[in-house]
Amino acid sequence: MAIDMNVFRGFAEQIKMLPQMARPTDCPDNERVKHAKAIFSTKIDASNATQLESCVHCGLCAEACQFYIQTEDPELTPIHKLDLLKRYYRREKAPLRWLHRLIEPDITEADLEATQHLVYESCTECGRCGLVCPMGIDIAAMVHVTREGLAHAGLIPAGLRAVEQEQGSRGTVFGVGPDQLRQAADELRAKGHEVPIDKDKADVLVLTSTIDVLLFKDALEATVKVMNHLGLDWTIHSCAFEGANFGLLSGYSEVQKSASERITSQAIALGARMVIVPECGHAYPALRWAGANAHGAPLPFEVMALSEFLGREVMAGRLQLNPIGADKHVTYHDPCKIGRHGGVFDEPRAVLQALGVDMREMPSNRTANFCCGGGAGLFVMEKAEPMRNAAFDLKRQQVEATGAGSVVTACGSCRINLMAGADRTHWGTRIESLVELVGDNLK
Amino acid sequence: MSFAEIVDGPFWYFSATVFVIGVLWRLVGMLNMGSKTDFSTPRSSGSAAALSINITRFFPRADFWSRIRLQVVAGYLFHVGLFALLFFAAPHIEFYREYVTGFGWVALPEWAFILVSEIAFLGLMLLILHRMLNPVTRAISDRGDYIGSILIFLVMLTGCLALARSHEVLRVTHFFLAELLLVYFPFSALIHTFTFPFSRGFMGAHYGRRGVKV
Repeated sequence: MAIDMNVFRGFAEQIKMLPQMARPTDCPDNERVKHAKAIFSTKIDASNATQLESCVHCGLCAEACQFYIQTEDPELTPIHKLDLLKRYYRREKAPLRWLHRLIEPDITEADLEATQHLVYESCTECGRCGLVCPMGIDIAAMVHVTREGLAHAGLIPAGLRAVEQEQGSRGTVFGVGPDQLRQAADELRAKGHEVPIDKDKADVLVLTSTIDVLLFKDALEATVKVMNHLGLDWTIHSCAFEGANFGLLSGYSEVQKSASERITSQAIALGARMVIVPECGHAYPALRWAGANAHGAPLPFEVMALSEFLGREVMAGRLQLNPIGADKHVTYHDPCKIGRHGGVFDEPRAVLQALGVDMREMPSNRTANFCCGGGAGLFVMEKAEPMRNAAFDLKRQQVEATGAGSVVTACGSCRINLMAGADRTHWGTRIESLVELVGDNLK
Repeated sequence: MSFAEIVDGPFWYFSATVFVIGVLWRLVGMLNMGSKTDFSTPRSSGSAAALSINITRFFPRADFWSRIRLQVVAGYLFHVGLFALLFFAAPHIEFYREYVTGFGWVALPEWAFILVSEIAFLGLMLLILHRMLNPVTRAISDRGDYIGSILIFLVMLTGCLALARSHEVLRVTHFFLAELLLVYFPFSALIHTFTFPFSRGFMGAHYGRRGVKV
């Protein structure tokens, strides 16, 4: 099912309105530094400490960052984005803090504000910089710690803050609640699909996302088709259907935890043995890796990204697909949060292989894949547009180097950013969803 | 007491003590911060990945090679050269035997020493020039980076000059600068010599649990 570009453009326009919808934060101006420091103090552990102490300022991290590569702006050097955290660490936590207090100034509110652009609008926490660092510094993880500090200091960029506030207060994202979900389900039922909602007990809890309900209805429909095709005991639950977690993206841990726990408690109530996360990059680590920590105990169910689930079913022989044919030349874009941060590389490729397409890898693929540029919430940050465009231009070069006529991915944010770039540059390459290809070719 | 006697005696003990206590203080302080329990179900072993990355990270990924080869080659020239000089130069082995270990080991022949010195100098010069001329490294470098580089350069230079052993003043100057470097070491980024296995290990374990080889 092709995406209606007018609907897509309308969605993009709505995103531009987000900053006007953001409310002021609860953090008083004169307490911002205190709040940020409190978070830094809690979050810095031995891992962060040894990594902050190991940096030799070699600058190699810049050579892995799509934003630096495209702009050659030294300000965008990944390790530079940790200056604020490093300064806090040196003065307050480091073994030599007594010495650093003599020679280094304390962090100020102006420092926090100056860091906002660096860690929010100029970093997708894609983690590619960590691959090149000879010291093994996980810069993305510490950019996230910095985001958490700024979030609790009330310094989330307005567009992202608006969505985080909405999810935190009403539990919805972009205004999509149970009513909109049921409406989308009714549309699918009208097409002849069975869509179980709010069952009391189910083996599998399937999550979706606002983007799939509003925009990528093809992905939602395909997911429903696959679940029914496999004959699973599954349900979508109107109290816990949203996979997106804007608490994680913004760094506001209270919202992250509540969004995650909403899903966890519902899955436990259902007796689910598996929760399937939709084609949404960050939704996967939010539940698969951070969910148990928010819960305070190991999760009593398995968490799978949709692309991971499809691949495993294909590899196990339970999901059989009609080959599309080798005259369809595709390349696969690994969403950073599912691939580099999630370990899901082989499964989507197994699906493409089962579809019999001519799969062509990009010059940088799998672990070394370049981010689409819209990850970590950049797709809702107005000021991040130059960065998103720069990243798209690099991705476009990489896709074109393969000669593929279609780029397949398994993340709604990636799709949005790639489609926005394609629309801007009149790029003819198709941007497709993995689950949509599966749904269209079930045997 | 002459300057040479101070350098050979009390200042050596002082600098060695600062070095040992300083490094331990810093390492224990970092590691003592602990780690939170990760309740997520791992996909594979974090410990194995922590060990693995400590080896694999010595070899840059092919994906980055075309953009980083200068720094990597210069880095290896310097670090391998310095390692060979520190542990396989005859005068150093003699020093360790007399002052530290009580035993010695096989030394590099003099021609190899000179070759290794030149390699290490070349690497260090390239790294310093890169730090000064490359917009990224120029922007992110601080005073400590330059102080460390210059101090190591001077130690190496005086070490080479002292090799002839014809001028006592050169030997004393070299030893004095090396002692200054020992004092400076625990307070500087040179601590990466001891922290890199931990930083690599933590990162490797984090991604290893997720089934990602970084």
